[in-house]
Amino acid sequence: MTFAWPRAAAVARKEWFHIRRDPFTMTLALVMPLVMVVIYGVAIDFNVKNVRLSVSDSDQTQASRRLIDTFSSSGYFRVRRDFSPNQTVEDVVAERARAALIIPPQFEKDIWSGRTTRAQILLDGADNSTVVPVSQYVGAIQTLASERIAGADMTPPYDLRTRFLFNPELNSRWFIIPGVIVVIMAILSIFLTSMTVAREWENGSMELLLSTPVEPLEIIVGKAAPYAFLGALAVVFVYIIARAAFGVPFRGHIWVFGLGCLIFLLTYLAQGLFISIATKQQTLAMQFSMLTGMMPSVILSGFVFPIASMPKFFWYFTMLLPARWFMIISRHCFLEGSSFFELSVPFAALSLSCLGMTALAARRFKRTLE
Amino acid sequence: MTDETVVEARELVVRYGDFTAVNKVSFSVRRGEIFGFLGANGAGKTTTIRVLCGVLPPTEGWVRVAGTGYEDGENAIKAKVGYMSQKFTLYNDLTVGENLDFTASLRKLDPGYYAKRRQELLDIISFGKGLDAFVQDLSGGTKQQVSLAAAMLHDPEIVFLDEPTAGVTPAGRVRFWKLIHRVAESGKTVFVTTHYMDEAEQCGRIALMREGRLVAMDSPAGLKASAFPEQVFEFEPLQELSFSRMGEFQNHEAFSFFEPYGHRFHAAAANPEAWRRWKPELEKTFCIRPIAPSLEDVFIRMVEDRP
Repeated sequence: MTFAWPRAAAVARKEWFHIRRDPFTMTLALVMPLVMVVIYGVAIDFNVKNVRLSVSDSDQTQASRRLIDTFSSSGYFRVRRDFSPNQTVEDVVAERARAALIIPPQFEKDIWSGRTTRAQILLDGADNSTVVPVSQYVGAIQTLASERIAGADMTPPYDLRTRFLFNPELNSRWFIIPGVIVVIMAILSIFLTSMTVAREWENGSMELLLSTPVEPLEIIVGKAAPYAFLGALAVVFVYIIARAAFGVPFRGHIWVFGLGCLIFLLTYLAQGLFISIATKQQTLAMQFSMLTGMMPSVILSGFVFPIASMPKFFWYFTMLLPARWFMIISRHCFLEGSSFFELSVPFAALSLSCLGMTALAARRFKRTLE
Repeated sequence: MTDETVVEARELVVRYGDFTAVNKVSFSVRRGEIFGFLGANGAGKTTTIRVLCGVLPPTEGWVRVAGTGYEDGENAIKAKVGYMSQKFTLYNDLTVGENLDFTASLRKLDPGYYAKRRQELLDIISFGKGLDAFVQDLSGGTKQQVSLAAAMLHDPEIVFLDEPTAGVTPAGRVRFWKLIHRVAESGKTVFVTTHYMDEAEQCGRIALMREGRLVAMDSPAGLKASAFPEQVFEFEPLQELSFSRMGEFQNHEAFSFFEPYGHRFHAAAANPEAWRRWKPELEKTFCIRPIAPSLEDVFIRMVEDRP
């Protein structure tokens, strides 16, 4: 078998004509990255702010006011005051507030007399996405409020200060957008490749192609090339938006990131090809692409949900997913400036996935032709 | 047509796992011949064509196509043949020029040769539209003709046409067959499969395939003579015939063959004695006249096996 670049280029040129004239493909390739960056970059923020806090202050003293002020000045809470304890609970039940603060009578007096006093925070546990960060804020605010109420006397004997490396302000966008690149590349490569090759099987043109001297590998390379180009274009596009519009830093080496993109792209192109050969139908190929490409890259790659907190089975299962490894490479390149050596484990895992998937697709393609 | 053999298959066997698609098929085709390949769906026609086009190596047996075989490499065969399938002809969202350019690129044709050959072929098919016409805007017949031109860009010695006129209007089919005759007259061998018996009549020879085996091969006239040594009659009902009565005649001792043909029936007498005995009775129901068997009768008797 001899690989002829002119024939692969002819297939690529033909594929490009299809892409240019297919509104669905063009929309998916050009609009989808923009929509995803906007949705994930603007709409999603892990830092919960402006939580409506319904307050019942039955003490009405300086200490209780300082506690309430600490909540309102934190920036995380919007305080609604002067309710009875029952009203604050009703606010939470009726979803007029996400949390309630109930300060009992004798609050200040108990503090100064050295007795333990209990103010109560009620959180809407049905909203799990809000309750976890809010409970963390409450812990920090409690410490701050204690200092303010008690003055210098409450200063602890040590000062434990927290600093967040790589993302000092815990800016969600810095965390999300490098991950969006992974998701966009996964969708574009696996989805479009599987669809386009399945189309050739479905309409019978694959047989016609194979009656010419074109080699199967030339077909694969030629068909994958335009989508690889679109994928690369999407990466550049998202990179520019990430840097210019969202101020996401890029601290790593561009070639390390580029190499990661290339291996990831090849892996998912091979996976798309495998799906198309196995299904030979566009509708089935689309469903399998969603199931094996898009869903794992969003749910199991660590994009939004932390892998560390997944059950053991899924924790091990994610190791098989190329998206998990490229997610690490992408975030480390953007935020941590990691070198190739520091990323050797994800690179090795990604390369293994790439080799395995390419071998699987090639074997299946050969068997199908036989 | 010359006596030179350009396609030869000997004891050809193709198996897909346990399924034998082609079973010990042997035949040869001469240069310039229009060779028809007929059979029911799944008879092994397309599989045989795939072998002869260099797409599918045989499990057993031997093929020789324009002096080349699998021992010379698949591409050696592919260089000598052109293939046009019924399932797919041209990319609809590409222009005629883009489709032809694509085929030429896959075959790595010299640009000078390609430009000349393209014009030559478009003249042969009398293509009136420009190269920038989109395939989706062409009629079915024109699309098939352009597809044939694409299959012949590299000047192949043999053209394989797999149901080339399926879905084409009657006028389009007539035009396409004129083109096939022109191609054959220019010294090319045309290997064609079709379900239209009027088209099959135009072939020099026909091979009939059934369940992977070659059951007969001859000229249309030769096939008719060998399939129907007995006299064939056309039966025209004098009044409308119910389905149940039709069944009676199909199992009648007077007939070895009784099949509907439009609103009439074609029948062959089982033996002269029974025929003589029953004829007066049958003439009360039918107007009976002797005819030559059609190729469709041959197909039904030999391929669908209704004795």
